[in-house]
Amino acid sequence: MGQSVPRLEDEKLLTGRALFVDDVQLPAMLHVAFLRSDEAHGILKGIDASAARERPGVVAVYTAADLGEYWRPGPLLVPPPPIKDLVFNAATQVPLVRDKVRHTGEALAMVIAESRYLAEDALEDIVVDLDPLPAVIDLEAALEPGAQLIHEQFGTNLAAHVHQTKGNYATAREEAGLVITRRFRYDRGASAAIENRGIVAAWDARSEELTVWDTTQAPIPIRNGLAAMLGLRESQVRVIAPFIGGGFGPKIMMFYPEEVLLPWAAMRLGRPLKWIEDRRENFYATTQERLQIHDAELAVTKDGRILGVKDRFLHDTGAYDPYGLTVPINSQCTLLGPYVVPNYDSEFTAVFTNTPIVTPVRGAGRQHGVFVMERLLDFAARELGIDRVEIRRRNLIPPDAFPYDHEILFQDFRPLVYDSGNYPAALAKATELIGYERFLKEEQPKHRSAGRHVGMGVVTYIEGTGIGPYEGARVTVEPSGMVRLATGVGTQGQGHFTTFAQLVAEQLGVEVDRVRVVTGDTREFNWGTGTFASRGAVVAGNACHAAAVKVREKIIALAARLLDTPPKDIVLEGGRALVRGTPDRGFDLGDLARRANPLRGAVTPGTEPGLEATAYFGPDRGNAASGVHAMIVEVDAETAAVDIKRYVVVHDCGVVINPTVVEAQVQGGVAHGIGNAFYEQLVFDENGQLMNASFMDYLLPTALDVPTVEMAHFETPSPLNPLGTKGVGEAGAIPTGALFAQAVEDALAGSGVEITEIPLSPSRLFELISRAKAGVP
Amino acid sequence: MIVEGTYTFAGPREVVWNLLLDPDVLAMTMPGTATIKRVSDTRYEGKMGVGIGPITAAEFDVVITMTDRVEPERYAMQIEGRGRFGFTRGHAAVTLSADGAATIMHYQADLMVGGKIAAVGQRLLDSVSRMLLKQGLEAMSAELDRRLAKGSG
Amino acid sequence: MKPAAFEYRRPASTEEALALLAEHPGAKPLAGGQSLIPAMNFRLAAPEMLIDLNAIPGLSGVTPLSGGGLRIGAMTRHRALETGSAVAGLAPLLAETMPFIAHPQIRNRGTLGGSLAHADPAAELPAVMVALGATLVLTSRAGELRLPAGEFFTGLFATALAPGELVTAIELPAPPARSGSAFIELARRHGDYALVGVAVAVSLGTAGTCAGASVALFSVGEGPVVSPGAAAVLQGAEPGPEAIRAAAAAIDRDIDPPSDIHASAAYRRNLAQVLTGRALTRAFERARISASPTEQ
Repeated sequence: MGQSVPRLEDEKLLTGRALFVDDVQLPAMLHVAFLRSDEAHGILKGIDASAARERPGVVAVYTAADLGEYWRPGPLLVPPPPIKDLVFNAATQVPLVRDKVRHTGEALAMVIAESRYLAEDALEDIVVDLDPLPAVIDLEAALEPGAQLIHEQFGTNLAAHVHQTKGNYATAREEAGLVITRRFRYDRGASAAIENRGIVAAWDARSEELTVWDTTQAPIPIRNGLAAMLGLRESQVRVIAPFIGGGFGPKIMMFYPEEVLLPWAAMRLGRPLKWIEDRRENFYATTQERLQIHDAELAVTKDGRILGVKDRFLHDTGAYDPYGLTVPINSQCTLLGPYVVPNYDSEFTAVFTNTPIVTPVRGAGRQHGVFVMERLLDFAARELGIDRVEIRRRNLIPPDAFPYDHEILFQDFRPLVYDSGNYPAALAKATELIGYERFLKEEQPKHRSAGRHVGMGVVTYIEGTGIGPYEGARVTVEPSGMVRLATGVGTQGQGHFTTFAQLVAEQLGVEVDRVRVVTGDTREFNWGTGTFASRGAVVAGNACHAAAVKVREKIIALAARLLDTPPKDIVLEGGRALVRGTPDRGFDLGDLARRANPLRGAVTPGTEPGLEATAYFGPDRGNAASGVHAMIVEVDAETAAVDIKRYVVVHDCGVVINPTVVEAQVQGGVAHGIGNAFYEQLVFDENGQLMNASFMDYLLPTALDVPTVEMAHFETPSPLNPLGTKGVGEAGAIPTGALFAQAVEDALAGSGVEITEIPLSPSRLFELISRAKAGVP
Repeated sequence: MIVEGTYTFAGPREVVWNLLLDPDVLAMTMPGTATIKRVSDTRYEGKMGVGIGPITAAEFDVVITMTDRVEPERYAMQIEGRGRFGFTRGHAAVTLSADGAATIMHYQADLMVGGKIAAVGQRLLDSVSRMLLKQGLEAMSAELDRRLAKGSG
Repeated sequence: MKPAAFEYRRPASTEEALALLAEHPGAKPLAGGQSLIPAMNFRLAAPEMLIDLNAIPGLSGVTPLSGGGLRIGAMTRHRALETGSAVAGLAPLLAETMPFIAHPQIRNRGTLGGSLAHADPAAELPAVMVALGATLVLTSRAGELRLPAGEFFTGLFATALAPGELVTAIELPAPPARSGSAFIELARRHGDYALVGVAVAVSLGTAGTCAGASVALFSVGEGPVVSPGAAAVLQGAEPGPEAIRAAAAAIDRDIDPPSDIHASAAYRRNLAQVLTGRALTRAFERARISASPTEQ
């Protein structure tokens, strides 16, 4: 624990020996391609696939009509939380379009052929008769009376309405010394994992077993769901999530059309099937995050203390809402940040649009909330003439106020209660690292007189992590002396093979590389939910720890008996259990494992064979990781190009298991955040056509565009789990938009430019600068 | 995509009007190789093929429906083009006003572009549409000159 | 994103390649493939045949010409131009441009001839060839034709290449005395298509005034755009901040930049002026340095 153990999985990954879904090659395997709609909205009158079926090399073509009884909309994965007066219209995705197309990229037909090349050739043979309808894209227009409806049965494009309050904002506003009101637009984008989605499905008719390799972040729920859908027992289905090249959220979306279709077709055809998503498909067929529009208000006293916040926002949920309200609820809760907000009135409307489904992408709606609060504070600071770090300091929840109850409900359906943190200390550390005082007093004035536009930003945030329900792990000492750890969560590159091994190695007194970790295979471990919401280390990690503790106790008990020594005198070190002080009196763990599984003789009643234990961990509620980001940027006033000079992160994820892994998560998250702030945007036009469905035009920052993050750790242990740890997977990505806005505005101070939107770009900044110059809002 | 502008033809309005509604002239002004037939009084159908740079033979089925005809002043049309590379759909309006011996055409089109070409070709859509428009107008103008020289119209 | 089926030929000589081209009008020559293959994977391009030029000897290489210029084989890789000393010495504008073209992996395969024949309006090399006054050697079965770069680019992805013709070499003239050059582009990310770029080549007369200037911009129209307006402002003028500012302003009339999702036309216009001014400043500085110390 706490050591920067080099990652065990890296050698395999870097030398190309790791198994990814596309590496799976099975005899007689066929390849799948999907015909996808290029219209965003329309009535499907008919599909003629006869010419496609005739093409040599094509084995089958399925449309919705061919699915018969199997055709049904997917399950509602995350029901809405129990909030009073909540309105929720559930509409989930369908495997193949039967009546109506509701977003570009929706699957119309599945083609199965001897190769992907031939399958794509056959796509061109299929004739689709579609009556286009006007597309619903603009969030406000979608809610107007008489707007085109996406789901006629609801009589509205409203997907959900949620109102949470605390205290009485209206009263607070009356007492305010200043009220800041603004409209904010915060847009996100695709998760853009390096590996797209992929599935291989194989049905063995003799053993009556279905094996599915899937790039899912949730192999166990997928197994359970597929078994139910296909009329199989859970034990007949094995789902394997092998090495996965990045998840970031959309791979936790479950029962994607391809996931439910490939196993079904594999069973019918009696041949293994493979579908690998290409990059263009990924932009439509894999979920993403998009726009929220916030009309927000901050009421403060004359000395900058927050009296209350009111927020009304619209959330674009896309054509269906299978994932419930996770993203907007996160926005709603995360807006409060590390601040004391005595009165809060937050209301949102989720809106259906003719665009792909929105589900969490790294940050999962927290970005939007942080942006709104941090910007409101910045505008208040400017108008009140208060330093922007100082205004934050004045409102931070003090370190002795934990547990701190915000009195509203979080995405895990539990009350939003922060467990621990030291926000003032983190803020002080960040300003010290970035050199805030010196920059303001000496450096910036020097730059300004030289005509250079250099600015600084400092923002804070909270990241709710480590939510339930639970995860499990099984630890086994093998006769070889190696330790095997199996857990249900999948791995998409977070370093689980190392961090979980560290937790077990510490308990059992072995070297970390003696612990072999198996994840994401339902045959190895089949209880759990998945990797999401920055919960792997907290929930699965604590389960691994708990299982290791149990095995440790078994080892000690057995060794104590065999060595005729009290258990308190047994130590585990160097892969052995030995008597404290006399290292020659002991057993190798492998030897003990053999002795714990005798072939003859009697065993004391109540003992379990071997040195193995399974344990589960489910936290009472999520915990609160936190941090501060700071940045120095230079803006070229003529070209509006932005150059990041320095980037500092002070973060608190509780007790750290592996500092290098944590730093990598933060660095990666910052890269994601920079993309969100300055490069990435899914540009759908008013007809629901995506205008940048390739990496030529959907811009991901490269290593040359992302600075090396200077980092400092803070540790306020969480009282909610034995390890005291908190999550960190999304931290780097959350406050970056707010940070960019503040820093760029600071660089352009005096120009009149106000930034109330993300993403930015040189062209957009140029427009804002020009408009400010001309006095146009 | 909004396309609008004016263009001056060196010829009288009646001649220009006939030119604009002649399916063979329409075909010649459309990008690449095109065949257009007048299927009814108000409907034209055909095929066109566009090749720009590496994009070879992007074929489109085209349907143009004339509406709102006031000879020789103005007309409007619904345009639909669909092919493997994507599709376009929208309407256009043309007004002709006499200016001495010349005719000033004012055109305005609102076209949606969808499918693959919109998804991966955004960088070029503006330039391509301007270029195609320019080529089309120049081809029309050349045909006008030919007709006037021959004395037909 | 798998391409449609195609035939593939790998001729061993230019003659063989030209014969194949003549026989198969639907065939496309394959040089570096860095633009063609992605277009084929998107199924935007579906040539019935690829004629791979990579096995033909004698089409690549940089050779100095007796007059002081350079002859570059059409199949010369970008990477060779980036690292070669002949280019650095005799065509510094070209050497300065190379690192801006995509990324090293792409430069390992991409070729000069391929880039020019493709004529992407956002490409760097067409503008550089025009600024340098290069000559393209076009070969067909009918023989060899030499064409100034300024006449080669005829429109959007359009060149003067006739069917059955290949670019086989590019010739750069010797740089004049007291010359300087500069290349600047602004892209969203390193290696991206430029939002706007400019290649500038200038020379000074013995009195220190501008003897000639060639300003070529890209990503501002259908292909490389030369600004006669800028050249006219600078001709014979004292190349200080005033003249440079006026020349940069003059390009506005010669460009017609598009709008797209990355930048508005207005932004591109502004950027074109800013980058032209910066490039001219740098180029004239370098011209002054090359003029001294022998002449002060």
